Amino acid sequence: MSGVVEREERQICANGGCVQTDAIEAKLNAGNIDDAESDLRQGLSLNSEEARALIGRLEYQRGNVEAALRVFEGIDIEAAIHHLQSISTTKKSHTHSESGPQQGANLVLEAIYLKTKTLQKLNRINDAAEECKKVLDAVEKIFPHGIPDAFVETKLQETISRAVELLPQLWVEAGSYEEAVSSYRRALLTQWNLDNDSCARIQNNFAVFLLYSGVQVGPPATSKQIEGTYAPKNNLEEAILLLMILMRKFSLGKAKWDPAVVEHLTFALSICSQTCVLANQLEEVIPGVIHRVDLWKMLALCCNGINQNKTALDLLKKALHKHEKPDDITSLLLAAGICSEDGFLAAQGIEYARRALDSCKNRNKHLKGVSLRVLGLCLGKQAIVSSSDYERSRLQSEALKSLEEAFELEPENSELVFELAIQYAMHRNLNNALRLSKQYIDVTGGSMLRGWRLLALILSAQQRFQEAEVVTDAALDETAKWDQGPLLRLKAKLRIAQSRHLDAIETYRHLLALIQAQKKSQTTHQIEEDRVNEYEVWQGLANLYSSLARWKDAEICLGKARESIECSSETLHTEGTIYQRRGEIDEALATYVNSLLVEANYVPSKISIGAIMSDRGLPMLPVARTMLSDALRLEPTNRMAWLHLGFVHKLDGRLSDAIDSFQAASMLEESDPIESFNSIL
Amino acid sequence: MSTEQRVSWSDSFSEAQTAIQTLSTIISSVPPHVSSSDSPALALLNDPELASQISNHLRQPDSGAGDNQLCRWLYDTFHTSKLDLQLVVLRFLPIVAGVYLSRIALRKPLAGFEAVLLAIYAHETASRDGKPITVNISDLSHPSVYHESRQPYRSTSTEPKQVVISPGLEPQGTIRSTKRARIIGVALELYHSKIVEMPAQSKLDFCEFCIVWAGQDGELYKDFPNDDKTEDDQKGKESEMKKEGRILLPWEILQPMLRILGHCLMGINKNKEKNKEVHEAACRACRSLYARAMHDINPKAILAVGSLLKLIKIQKASIDHTELPVTKVIHL
Repeated sequence: MSGVVEREERQICANGGCVQTDAIEAKLNAGNIDDAESDLRQGLSLNSEEARALIGRLEYQRGNVEAALRVFEGIDIEAAIHHLQSISTTKKSHTHSESGPQQGANLVLEAIYLKTKTLQKLNRINDAAEECKKVLDAVEKIFPHGIPDAFVETKLQETISRAVELLPQLWVEAGSYEEAVSSYRRALLTQWNLDNDSCARIQNNFAVFLLYSGVQVGPPATSKQIEGTYAPKNNLEEAILLLMILMRKFSLGKAKWDPAVVEHLTFALSICSQTCVLANQLEEVIPGVIHRVDLWKMLALCCNGINQNKTALDLLKKALHKHEKPDDITSLLLAAGICSEDGFLAAQGIEYARRALDSCKNRNKHLKGVSLRVLGLCLGKQAIVSSSDYERSRLQSEALKSLEEAFELEPENSELVFELAIQYAMHRNLNNALRLSKQYIDVTGGSMLRGWRLLALILSAQQRFQEAEVVTDAALDETAKWDQGPLLRLKAKLRIAQSRHLDAIETYRHLLALIQAQKKSQTTHQIEEDRVNEYEVWQGLANLYSSLARWKDAEICLGKARESIECSSETLHTEGTIYQRRGEIDEALATYVNSLLVEANYVPSKISIGAIMSDRGLPMLPVARTMLSDALRLEPTNRMAWLHLGFVHKLDGRLSDAIDSFQAASMLEESDPIESFNSIL
Repeated sequence: MSTEQRVSWSDSFSEAQTAIQTLSTIISSVPPHVSSSDSPALALLNDPELASQISNHLRQPDSGAGDNQLCRWLYDTFHTSKLDLQLVVLRFLPIVAGVYLSRIALRKPLAGFEAVLLAIYAHETASRDGKPITVNISDLSHPSVYHESRQPYRSTSTEPKQVVISPGLEPQGTIRSTKRARIIGVALELYHSKIVEMPAQSKLDFCEFCIVWAGQDGELYKDFPNDDKTEDDQKGKESEMKKEGRILLPWEILQPMLRILGHCLMGINKNKEKNKEVHEAACRACRSLYARAMHDINPKAILAVGSLLKLIKIQKASIDHTELPVTKVIHL
């Protein structure tokens, strides 16, 4: 647009007349304010106050803030308000149709408002706030019975709305937080005839203030708490309430979509760990304002945040569909991460992780280490569920390789140190595992319970039980009482391994006391995830008593265990060993079979059955062999299975097979941890 | 300002004077305008020269030991139980916690820092009476003052959901390593609740340590959430930033960190020069933490930090609705 055209159009119109803006501006530039004023008064039939207000506006628009302020300061606002007040009260019945008072009111109010804005621009924030407050006070004086409905669509209303919106912002800027809060509430709880959009903006601004200012605000004063109403008690509650109301307005089409609102709500609800509430809110968002892939991704993050991983994965599958955003690294990593926790999803996870690895370009290059890490985790998980030996060892090596590569890229990532240590341990590379688990404790400053447990387990696998117990004790020192459960269980097992049975019983007693105490105060300590359950303790004690041939005690403990879990393969197995040790072989066998009926893949029972069968002479050897091979398919590093398989081979006359099996058993004996390494993952 | 605070103010005068005297035996020189101030506690809190001296002291290699005089001073000052003097100690929390956490792995003596942190934790445990902090989240089925229509109570609607945002606290006599994160998290929660009183430099210190703790270069996310379109060789080259000081960021630390960062981004008056710096630093900290959240594949952190990054972008493009539209024709 050319400047000439623009200039031609610039004019000021009122009361049916028009004046060229340029002419007025020229006079202002020359410093003849009085001339400019008289031109306006004559040209537009205005009074002096009105003309001054117009000049002020003109200067303001031209960016001459200081000049504008001088003009505004020259207007006797109090008098003008007083004048308007008297008109509005005396002519109340006519005001609807007459434009005179309304126009006058608008000019005056706009003048005060513009004075506010000039003061704001001159960084005189406190003065600006005082001035802005005058606008609202004036409105209440001029219209003591509320703003007439007829004004809703007028410029007057626009000025009022702007002032209502600006005032709290000014108080915030001035650091007068109490005034800010009361003016926010005055804006939202008084009838100003605000249109939906400006009301929504004020609600948003207030929510932002509540959420981030750090100012502790008292709850809104409700005259009386009506039953069934919700009254927020603190900043966070009030902010979330306002933001949810805004979301509702958007979805009902009552206010214009503002992308900031959903982000503030996301922040607030994530901070409260309430991603489930966030998911509900996101589901109500009208279509089209958030890109569907982004929405799926956010919903997936929400679900993942509350461990609804199946739903999360379904959403991510949609987002990663080839027609959507198949290369999105966040979705890929999240999907792979979810899959890495579940053996049945691990194969999918490997795919996602590989795709993530391929997408580590440009900005995402720094995520290569992460991609390799989840790839390694998925491969490791897949190895555990894999059915063939060959496949398993291949997957394990690949898992290790991925994690090692990741570690090279991110040697400072302590999570990776831990995961690599576990992977080495499962690989029975105990020296590396030991080194890394120590490193993990160092870099985390011993803050992670699982680090201590891993170190103790690795030491136990090296048959260094005493050292393992020292580590466990050190860990107990670093752990608050409530969290000591898993460590005490470990300690009991370590004592059993050292044949210190009475000490072990002592530790179990200690553990039981802890569990009882936890039970009593369940309300206050719900957060600990790593809690040992009572069943495990009774089960452990039953095994211990059974090995000491204290049958009665063992049976009492089993009875207690059954109170928690009525029918478990583990309990049945322990019962079976009691029969077996007492020489009641048929009963033992029946109980072992029962335990397999509860859990078809329960390895200890398979081994026990295999062992009993191998004792029954040649005709039963094939059964024994099947049982033991089956056990080894499920747990290839089970020492007892190899040992009994060796006996079977020997009885069957396959001496070289027998030697291999015994060798495997003896090698494993030297590397068996006291609890499975998987138990820490 | 409540009367309670004012009483404590005049009360603390002599204690603040004593604190300044003790401090002058520890650091090289207490600025004269601080020691002669009419409101010594306020001067201790806000004087930039003094703050930088104390900060330098706290960052020295041997600063956290049990016999460290400055730690002792912070501990004693906090134990005066005067609100305005406790603020002075909190003002240095970012540095104390920052240096402390970054040194854990180095096996340095840190008993001095630990005493200060435990004092803050104990104070908070007492003032909360060990109880958890909870928040009610309504599903809007209950009308509130902000509802447009206040329909009568619907019996079908569910009670507001009560969620714990900070679990209950138990007294801790020492910093057990597994409780370290919680103790510091609680201290940061207290810091956040007093953040309005904190000088900008303290917030800057905090942002600095966020980046150290995150241990990730966040500058790759400068354009976030826009797609990254720059060439491979420009971005994505392995960053040369030092990664020393990277720590585990469990939720109990991360949550108060994010709340503080939220304040530094959205809760300050950016017209002040120093606050602009705070805002910039908080943007950097957010970007680092976003990179870190991605590394940890931590959904809550990705959501929370991601929304902060998007808000930074939205903020930049925001329109001032309180401004009058400029028109060519001015109608009355």
